[in-house]
Amino acid sequence: MSTATIPLQRKEKTAATLLETCTVRVGSTTFGMPITYILEIVGAARPQPVPLAPVFVGGLVHYRGDVLTTVSLRQLLGLPPKEGRQDLLVLESAGGIFGLLVDSVGEVLTVSSADHEPNPSILDERRRALLAGAYKLKDSLLVMLAPEQLDPMRLSAALA
Amino acid sequence: MKALRVLCAGCSSRRGGCVGAMDELTREFLIESQEGLDRMERCLTDLEERPRDAGLIGDIFRSVHTIKGTTGFLGFKRLEKLAHAGENLLGLLREGKLTADRPLITGLLQLLDGLRSILKTIEAEAAEGAGDDAALIDRLEELYVPAKEKAKQPAHAKAGARPASAAPIEPVKPKPVPAEPSSVPPLAQPEGPVADAAPAPHEAEGDAARSRTQGSAAESTLRVDVTLLNRMMNLVGELVLTRNQVLQATSADPSMTMLSRRLDMVTADLRESVMKARMQPVSNIFSKMPRIVRDLSQSLGRRVRLQVEGQETELDKSLLEAIKDPLTHAVRNSLDHGIEPPDVREAAGKNPEGTLKLRAAQEGSHVIIEISDDGAGIAVEKIRQKAIERGLINADRAAHLAERELLQLIFLPGFSTASAVTNVSGRGVGMDVVRTNVEKIGGKVEIDSRAGKGTTLRLRIPLTLAIIPALIVRSLNQSFALPQGALSELVHIPPEQAAAAIEWIEKAPLYRLRGKLLPLVFLDRLLMPGGEHKIAAERDNFIAVLDADGRRFGLVVDGLADPEEIVVKPLSTVLKGIGLYSGATVLGNADLALILDPGSIAMKAGVTLQDEESARAAEEETGAEAVKSLEYLLVEAGGRQAAVLLSDVLRIEQLPLSRIEYIGYRPVLNFEGQLLPVEDSGGVLTAAQGNPNAQIIVVVCREGNRQVGIAVSHVLDVAGGGDLFEAGSAQRTGGVTLLKNRVTGVVDLCGVATLPAAQAAQPEWSQVGEAAL
Repeated sequence: MSTATIPLQRKEKTAATLLETCTVRVGSTTFGMPITYILEIVGAARPQPVPLAPVFVGGLVHYRGDVLTTVSLRQLLGLPPKEGRQDLLVLESAGGIFGLLVDSVGEVLTVSSADHEPNPSILDERRRALLAGAYKLKDSLLVMLAPEQLDPMRLSAALA
Repeated sequence: MKALRVLCAGCSSRRGGCVGAMDELTREFLIESQEGLDRMERCLTDLEERPRDAGLIGDIFRSVHTIKGTTGFLGFKRLEKLAHAGENLLGLLREGKLTADRPLITGLLQLLDGLRSILKTIEAEAAEGAGDDAALIDRLEELYVPAKEKAKQPAHAKAGARPASAAPIEPVKPKPVPAEPSSVPPLAQPEGPVADAAPAPHEAEGDAARSRTQGSAAESTLRVDVTLLNRMMNLVGELVLTRNQVLQATSADPSMTMLSRRLDMVTADLRESVMKARMQPVSNIFSKMPRIVRDLSQSLGRRVRLQVEGQETELDKSLLEAIKDPLTHAVRNSLDHGIEPPDVREAAGKNPEGTLKLRAAQEGSHVIIEISDDGAGIAVEKIRQKAIERGLINADRAAHLAERELLQLIFLPGFSTASAVTNVSGRGVGMDVVRTNVEKIGGKVEIDSRAGKGTTLRLRIPLTLAIIPALIVRSLNQSFALPQGALSELVHIPPEQAAAAIEWIEKAPLYRLRGKLLPLVFLDRLLMPGGEHKIAAERDNFIAVLDADGRRFGLVVDGLADPEEIVVKPLSTVLKGIGLYSGATVLGNADLALILDPGSIAMKAGVTLQDEESARAAEEETGAEAVKSLEYLLVEAGGRQAAVLLSDVLRIEQLPLSRIEYIGYRPVLNFEGQLLPVEDSGGVLTAAQGNPNAQIIVVVCREGNRQVGIAVSHVLDVAGGGDLFEAGSAQRTGGVTLLKNRVTGVVDLCGVATLPAAQAAQPEWSQVGEAAL
């Protein structure tokens, strides 16, 4: 966590805005999700598979008395399914709440808009729609997810 | 805030379209006005009964006055004008210058409808619309102008014979005819038949409702949005699950056990309270009926008395909404097809005034709503003819159907016995809509009718919508919930029998169920096409025989778990789109299960209409066959096997030996105050004597008009037997039948009665019974 550095950064670059993001790992990539979209993080979720569901659906999870449809980021990116535990981000979108299944949840980072770069043009079209550019960290890239693009409703519309 | 009422689903959905477009004040006004108008409607039908009830008139006046007052403030000019006209009229009524006669009440009901429709427009468009109420206002003015004129007339007219009571009525009738604008329906003229709505029980309720809405009770209630209640319900459900886990985790630690037990109790209480908050009395919909009955009986020329019972019975709000339409349908049907015109009734020796009874009562986890009339009843022969005529059933099959089964035919789409189609009913869309709507919420419809005596329609509604009984089945290593409503039976085929039991026509698997081919759907193959599945002979097969909207098929699953009462959770739109699941649920072990939708599965698997037709034939024919080849309950008593005709068996009771009492040497069973003679030819009772803990089994049978019990040591099976003994004698005494390749004696139920000891004991019993009283 870089909370200690926030005031410092503010002093140096007043023009740049800061964004708190939650990092998640899927496969070998580190993705970022703005924390304002996250309602809750549920560790070790056991999603119940839904036969015949669209491929991106990771299954159902029970969340606060509701049954939540989850999107598997792995399946969405076309990666092979992962055995064992997965972590779950509960996200809020215009269409309601849904879950996002990831391999693991990392930490909360504060990134500065000064380090942001848009999606590279060589990225394939499907990924370009799901991603919102990247932040250049000291020794790696933080690939930003576009939360509103991950809504199952929107995904199924895109599939159709 | 006046009414003890939780903001209802109806209101919120009606308001749904305008959220945001309307300010809080207007919304509040709409809800209050609607409540006021509902109250006014109740009072008006009551007023017809008791035209001089000042309290009622005062109530109606207040409703209209409140609307007028608030509209002026909110700037709804059209509404204000109409309410003002109504208020003038009601003012005169209150002062006793007018009498609440039929035309006046009809006029007031029109005012009510007028106000309602404007409120509806405001709700939808946030503006009162451009309609013109001049005609209605004129109408209302016509009703009170005579009274005013009368008042202006010289004193001698007034002094004489109470002008207010009789005088104003006369001029009203002829007047409206020429000046009548076509947009307003003519005032119903007081015809011969008089509809007497709202009898005594209803009055009592009305009074109670009135007193409830007044006084200190008003301050102790508040409105709650239904969405908030739904959310609370969900959270409570979550709490229950967490509690279950806590209970499991803490069972080892004694200090935690106390705490978790307390948590358990509090959670249960909380859950119950939240459930209660969603309940509303059925009077909310029953109170709409007097108006419907009044209007209909007038337009149909019937005389009908409406009796209402059990209004305080409570039902979940959403269910109440769901049964509103079926109930209205049923009431319409009763008035149109059931209760005859007064002259016909009189000719049949009945009271010219028919009775329509609405009754609500709670029975276990269901609420029973009965709509019964003392009308013509349903002529079974007519149904038979009509059904054949409309091609709903073929003549052969129709001839075999029993009376009860014939009655069920009226629930088929497109059925109506009414000879003429009226605008009230007869288009054949009534009863199947009633059934579909009630079944949609997990309820059942039963009908009982006697020609000439009347018809009773019984709706069985579950207490809450959210909870349904379901069977948990396993397939693809996960659990699915199968609603019990569609499930008719279960068949188990072990692996070694699978190859022989499941037959194929090309790629269609079939199973012979009592001689008829039942199409099979393998759940795993359906859900995972192209996956690798074990063939039937390598695993256990359970066939759930389902009846979904008339489509009959067998769903093959890998395993069965327990039946459970499940809480239905809605699925997201994406998953609803798959079409096979009607929801999801959280099971007792905190696992999730998808709820299967038998109808969609039948469709998806291609159980076609042709199959449906043959399935229906199969169902009916097996019914007919069952009558031909008798089925027996095989029992064992004292080491010997015996058979009891299955159709005679009412139930099987297991009870301690101490329950058996003796009158003389006759063993009897005191069953809920009724004495049941127990037949013990097998010596089961004698053998168990002296063993205080002995449990015995009594098969309770029907014999003529009475019941008899047969003491047995085991109930073995149900099997079909041939009519071996029919050639010898028509009497069943000493009958034997071939059951499971063994010659088995049939227990002679008539014989129980003809025993000399039983005959002699009969008067003795009644004496004992009296002595006990």
